[in-house]
Amino acid sequence: MQLFKSLQEKPWLATGLEPQTDLPSSPLNKENAASTALQFFLAVITVIFFLFTITFLQRTQSFDFQALSGEPWLPFTNAKILWQNSAYLLLASISIILAKRFAEQQSLHAIILSLTATAIFTLLFISGQVQVWQQLNQSGFYITNNPANSYYFLLTGVHALHIIGGILVFMRCVWLFSFSLSYQQLTARLKLCAMYWHYLFFIWLFLFFLLTSDAETFKTIALICGF
Amino acid sequence: MTKMDNVAIADQVDQSSHPSTFLSKYIWSQDHKVIAIQYSITAIAVGLVALVLSGMMRLQLGFPNEFSFIDPASYLQFVTMHGMIMVIYLLTALLLGGFGNYLIPLMIGARDMVFPFLNMLSYWIYLLSVLVLLASFFVSGGPTGAGWTLYPPQAILSGTPGADAGILLMLASLAIFIVAFTMGGLNYVTTILQARAKGMTLMRMPLTLWGIFVATILGLLAFPALLVSAIMMIFDKVIGTSFFMPAILSLGETLEHSGGSPILFQHLFWFFGHPEVYIVALPAFGMVSDVIAIHARKNIFGYRMMVWAIIAIGGLSFVVWAHHMYVSGMNPYFGFFFATTTLIIAIPTALKVYNWLLTLWRGNIHLTVPMLFAIGFIFTFTHGGLTGLMLGNVVIDLPLSDTFFVVAHFHMVMGVSPIMVLFAAIYHWFPLLTGRYLSNRLGKFHFWGTFLGTYAIYLPMHYLGFLGVPRRYYAMGDTDFIPESAQTLNAGITVSAIIVALVQLVFIINVIWSTFKGKKSGRNPWQATSLEWQTAQFPPEHGNWGEQLPQVYRWAYDYSVPKVKDDFIPQNLCPKEVEYLASDKNMTKGESNATF
Repeated sequence: MQLFKSLQEKPWLATGLEPQTDLPSSPLNKENAASTALQFFLAVITVIFFLFTITFLQRTQSFDFQALSGEPWLPFTNAKILWQNSAYLLLASISIILAKRFAEQQSLHAIILSLTATAIFTLLFISGQVQVWQQLNQSGFYITNNPANSYYFLLTGVHALHIIGGILVFMRCVWLFSFSLSYQQLTARLKLCAMYWHYLFFIWLFLFFLLTSDAETFKTIALICGF
Repeated sequence: MTKMDNVAIADQVDQSSHPSTFLSKYIWSQDHKVIAIQYSITAIAVGLVALVLSGMMRLQLGFPNEFSFIDPASYLQFVTMHGMIMVIYLLTALLLGGFGNYLIPLMIGARDMVFPFLNMLSYWIYLLSVLVLLASFFVSGGPTGAGWTLYPPQAILSGTPGADAGILLMLASLAIFIVAFTMGGLNYVTTILQARAKGMTLMRMPLTLWGIFVATILGLLAFPALLVSAIMMIFDKVIGTSFFMPAILSLGETLEHSGGSPILFQHLFWFFGHPEVYIVALPAFGMVSDVIAIHARKNIFGYRMMVWAIIAIGGLSFVVWAHHMYVSGMNPYFGFFFATTTLIIAIPTALKVYNWLLTLWRGNIHLTVPMLFAIGFIFTFTHGGLTGLMLGNVVIDLPLSDTFFVVAHFHMVMGVSPIMVLFAAIYHWFPLLTGRYLSNRLGKFHFWGTFLGTYAIYLPMHYLGFLGVPRRYYAMGDTDFIPESAQTLNAGITVSAIIVALVQLVFIINVIWSTFKGKKSGRNPWQATSLEWQTAQFPPEHGNWGEQLPQVYRWAYDYSVPKVKDDFIPQNLCPKEVEYLASDKNMTKGESNATF
């Protein structure tokens, strides 16, 4: 609403320093800047997964599409390992929030413990995803066999790449903390990391639902979307 | 704090952060101005390659079979590379990477972008994308010849030039470019939202910044569509998936693909492709508004409407994409929907054209070179826009689709028009970079050569389109419905194209000569109000603002304000310091604009 109010301003009428309400914070607040950039970046990621999803839903209605769940012999009828991976990512998300809280309290040992937990759970998620890929290949669900397989590998791969990007930023943050960052700066950076981790966790939940749905569910979604 | 963090001087002066070595000053620079110049030089260099490619195409079309080095395959490769380079690697990179980088911090009163390191990285990744693209000229089979739209299945099937390494390098290059753009784009929007000087409200920003701001948001949201389609096509080509590939027979051989949808690629491509038109056009709209206001010594007519129109155009640009696909066999109701949205987008666009004209009306027009190019833009853009209205209608588009009419339309609207603005902008902001003017005499020659020359190219091209001359054809052969005169026209167009290309050499000579020997401009040579001309040192140095950031007291269009001594009031001039004419010394703060 603030934006709409700003857009109604008549700049030719007023002179002076503070006639308006949307004055930027001055001097630059780097924390706000990083948060703004991250929000835009999350918007970009959203568009990427949204577009993949649209193409996927359209493809679910083609004659050669075979869902990966529904029948007993299909790999995700029992998606136990994916639930396990989801739990890892959830735990990583929780431990990064804890790390942020401990950073606020300046509790060094707790920070180290929670940061380590974040790294371990995230890596467990990635290795779990790789394990699923291997199992799919071993069971004959190759990437080219069926569009559902192709999309599974593609979407989980793109998601994993985003997680790996997050890990790199996270590692840089830890590295800087070990040398120069103050607790306040660490808190600010972990806040952003936490936002990113939560977001990728929700994206994963969405992908999990999407990629492990059965043919009937896809039919219903396609009907609703008009495919 | 690390050394890298010290270089980020968006809000503070840190003498230790000023680069001192040649490498840190000009190569691995994090100064937005140097990065802007790096972007610009790279974009113009690769644009010249595309210009040469268009010359080769025109040689073939104008004088078929006269040149042995142009065969059908290389002709298609020239077409493809020319289109892609011009749209993505020249126009997008120059307008946003070049002008966006240079002008954003200066115009909002910041010292630099908020993430200078990311900004530097953005340029080097952009350069990598250009090198990957150009590398395709040197691989076996050459660059892709699939047309700039890269439609599958033909883009990745043997039989199409460059269907092996060429197309892969193109797709990889696009993906790399998008990574670079995202880094730059996040910087631009964040800097505009978070680093504005005190008093610089959003509605006090010059329209140049509004155009760049909205175009960047469009880019951030539209380029993912190209990225998604590039990734999926790479999978189809390399791994053998069938995202876009249907069951198909290629050169008598049944391929492994099955069930994919080529039309899906078209939707994705144009979901990016149409906003891309406005990613190029909106910064141009913004810059031309400022050039017109400054050189007509008049406030821009309808500032708020101009801002709203930029936002409206940006929003609408996401719901018109399928007007590029009327011939793909879509549902007629779809065609109706997209024709309607396409025509609706003409409303805010026309509003902008009227406002430019009304800004000129009774203005104190100075026919400087930037102004000539700006006025030239109004002609070419209106021309291209009107033919766009024609093509937006399904019934007109169907017979004209894939003819030279379409080529003439999109070159007028998103080729010549943004280029006219780019030239206006270069002539206008060149003194800010160098402290010198570009040569006026050479500039005028450049303008008339370009303006008249491009009309000589594209006006007859519309007629060729009406005759039904198809685009992307290497040669017409013995086609009954195309008269002999069409060939004569084609030869004329080619001669004009060569002249226009040569005129651009005059521009390059002008830039090089004027950089060192041009007439010194002095501070604020155009007597502009916006902040970029009010820096402590001129031309601005690293950090832009010396000890203190500027404070902004007014909008960017206080020109010819009644009863004020000068015909412009800089944005950072305190109301108490405004000098009034002798008889009006009793005027008080705030009254100066009362007549507007």
